[in-house]
Amino acid sequence: MKYLDKNVELCTECGLCEEACSKAYFKVADKEKSRIRINMESFGEKITVCNQCGKCIEVCQVQALYRDKNGIVRLDKSKCVNCLMCVGLCPENAMFEHVEFLEPFKCIACGICADVCPTGAIFLKEREMATAE
Amino acid sequence: MITVNGREFPYEEGLTVANLLQKKGYTFKMITVKINGNVIKKDEYETTLIRDGDNVQVLHHVAGG
Amino acid sequence: MDFKVLKSFSYQLGKIIKGYNNRSLYINLNDYSIGEKEVTEMMKDKFIGGKGFGLWYLWNAVTPETKWNDPENEIVIATGPIGGITQYPGSGKSLVVTISPLTGIPIDSNVGGFFGPYLKFAGFDALEIQGKSKEDIVIFIDGDNGKVEIMDIDTESIDSHLIAHALTDMFAKNEEDKKNISVVSAGNGAENTLFGLLNFSFYDMRRKTVRLKQAGRGGIGTVFRDKKIKALVVKFSNTRGDLNCPHDIELIKKTGIKLHKEIRDLDDKQNQMRKVGTAHLIEIMNEYDLLPVHNFKFGAHPDTKNITSKVFKERYFTQNMPDGCWYGCSMSCAKAVDGFELKTGPYKGQRVTVDGPEYETAAGVGANLGIFNPDFIVEANFYLDTYGIDSISFGTATAFVMECYENGIINKDITGGLELNFGNEKAAMELLHQMARGEGFGKIVGLGIKRMKDIFVREYGADREFLNDIGMEQKGLEYSEYVTKESLAQQGGYGFTNKGPQHDEAWLIFMDMVNNQIPTFEDKAEALHYYPMFRTWFGLNGLCKLPWNDIVPADNDMTDNPAKVPEHVQNYVDLFYAVTGKKIDAEELIRQSERVYNFQRVFNIRMGHGKREDDKVPYRSVGPVTEEEYLSRQERYDNQLKEILNYDIEGKSIAERMKVLREYRESQYEKLTDAVYTRRGWTLDGIPTLKKLKELGMDLPEVVEVVKKHLG
Repeated sequence: MKYLDKNVELCTECGLCEEACSKAYFKVADKEKSRIRINMESFGEKITVCNQCGKCIEVCQVQALYRDKNGIVRLDKSKCVNCLMCVGLCPENAMFEHVEFLEPFKCIACGICADVCPTGAIFLKEREMATAE
Repeated sequence: MITVNGREFPYEEGLTVANLLQKKGYTFKMITVKINGNVIKKDEYETTLIRDGDNVQVLHHVAGG
Repeated sequence: MDFKVLKSFSYQLGKIIKGYNNRSLYINLNDYSIGEKEVTEMMKDKFIGGKGFGLWYLWNAVTPETKWNDPENEIVIATGPIGGITQYPGSGKSLVVTISPLTGIPIDSNVGGFFGPYLKFAGFDALEIQGKSKEDIVIFIDGDNGKVEIMDIDTESIDSHLIAHALTDMFAKNEEDKKNISVVSAGNGAENTLFGLLNFSFYDMRRKTVRLKQAGRGGIGTVFRDKKIKALVVKFSNTRGDLNCPHDIELIKKTGIKLHKEIRDLDDKQNQMRKVGTAHLIEIMNEYDLLPVHNFKFGAHPDTKNITSKVFKERYFTQNMPDGCWYGCSMSCAKAVDGFELKTGPYKGQRVTVDGPEYETAAGVGANLGIFNPDFIVEANFYLDTYGIDSISFGTATAFVMECYENGIINKDITGGLELNFGNEKAAMELLHQMARGEGFGKIVGLGIKRMKDIFVREYGADREFLNDIGMEQKGLEYSEYVTKESLAQQGGYGFTNKGPQHDEAWLIFMDMVNNQIPTFEDKAEALHYYPMFRTWFGLNGLCKLPWNDIVPADNDMTDNPAKVPEHVQNYVDLFYAVTGKKIDAEELIRQSERVYNFQRVFNIRMGHGKREDDKVPYRSVGPVTEEEYLSRQERYDNQLKEILNYDIEGKSIAERMKVLREYRESQYEKLTDAVYTRRGWTLDGIPTLKKLKELGMDLPEVVEVVKKHLG
């Protein structure tokens, strides 16, 4: 399966990934709506993004989170009751929420951000289904 | 002699916070330990020595039920 | 299943505004009338919601003469203004209020499951059920279509694991729809004992089974069956995070995520609620000599090692499940045992999911009965729930009869052959099954300790004083499972409760006995003011107590008052504002509780109880009743006599020492009573003063009228 991997040393904090992501999914350049975050406040990691580990699937009471046939962890918004446990319990802090939305959102490894990254700090990678580093 | 939670307790050479908790049977995890009013961090229980005459508080917080 | 609609009522679906629907649902089972009532501004200001609303409706429904089985008695179910938010752990509680069969005064019980939130989303801040039906009925509240129906449904059994499943299946369109149903039910044991409970269901999507949470205390299930209610069913299909239309949802989200993260980072190092729930207390109470053993005689037992949370975690509880009893509860303490094969009773051989055991059940039916077998505890837990019997009252009442049996007060002729020695698990289990069948000695034990004392004195010539000493009941309610002998503050923590001796008002044993933090009467009185008031507030708002202090922030140690968990108190202040838009602070939070707490006290007085006389406690909760108890802690007791009382024990018999110790301890309790009443603004007879009621704005004419009669 594909997932977005990172090489933090190459990151120049240009923010192009955040812009590309928020534009693709929310039609606006706003890092608060990006599914990948650079230097997120209150968290030490330079690049914060989902590694598709699936821990959130386990904590979701209504089974709104699931792994699709390609191994990507996705949210079925119609089932979500907006409890945000997945946001708080994500070991990577990579499930995001925004004041304008009830549902959280996350990276689905589409690669749009990797395409615009000028240094190759983020890139799609393959691994065996369901195991995370 | 030291004081533990306002009651006298015999002092002995080399007594650490961790030893004291064991001697008193204080196994509960939700506690705050203070020596002469200063909070001792949990990761320092093994290394913090109690001196003769110290006023030790082991405050158990309420839980459960 | 065959069914017939006896009565149908349609209502306009509405919208919740800042935590309130501003209406409640009233059903009278005498004539099957159904209607709406307005929730007034006065109710919201003075009673907030939850048990506040329950007590207010109940006050207006009953007279001082009303008995639990009179038609005018009500069962009121309500969550509170915060109840139903999905983003903060522990926000789905229902509060249930009725006149208790055990105590004759209001009982309130705080329970999880989806019923309260779904009732609120269906359009009602409370459900009030009055009257008695002539035939067994089910009440169905359809929150999707705005319809309430009283139905005759032919169900196989009223035992909860069966009826909750059957009704969930019946009212859900398909598997996916089952999560939108919640059932309230009792069971055969609730019908045949006075300590029947109510089960509130939620559907566990992962296990694909109905789970049950219990409104355990005070016999609400008994009232439910007396009204001929088989079950209540609510359906609501579109649960979302903003249905309360809160004033500031961003603040709710932020506060909730902060707590989710605390739980993620710290629960494993603190209480492991996510792994074992409240069962972690079993070994802690044993280690601190606080676990009731043999009817509260002792506080520890070597065999407790067989029933620790480690045993339940490794051999019973299914791990890594989202065990919240409402959405968004990352504390997830609602542990379950899956695929448990029953070895006794009518469901013998079946494999079932058992909700629990929680601490109270393990302590009550395990240690307190001298039974240290986890299989027994899990099996008893299952049957207690499905029969609708309160595990605390069952445990404490059975411990009482076991002590009576061992003392020859009752014998095999009286028990119908049951050898009720401590540790006899077969006899204890049979007693439980008898309660469900309404047969034999189980029927007697099911009356509760207070009534048993009368029977044993009247029929078998038992010594009244001894029974009063060892019978762990007060106000008619059985004690919950903590040994209070060495903590004066907790003797009061149980003794001065409104509903009877339950630990949900205050748990001060560590603060008092271990920490020695509240040495004076005034210190103890302050704690017995603050904590009962603070904890009352959860029940006004539809909240659970556990996320307050079963998880604490990493820097909680550094705060001025770690026991209060200041950051979490602020969370609650923030949540109340974020939902209702009403700004409060930590002091107003306490005043909100004080209003309802004092109202409940006056309610007790109105029902002929609730005075100083009613706050007396059995001596078993205060000190050693028997020589074996004295000897088990002889050093402690001898030292107290020498050091505190300057009593020379040389040459004195144990009986003489016990007498002196008893006089001392009982006088301490009286002094504590004086201090607590004074701190709470009551007279020394325990009556809230007019001044106090005025200060709180609770000088309602009907309240003043009751109080005046007693103020002289």
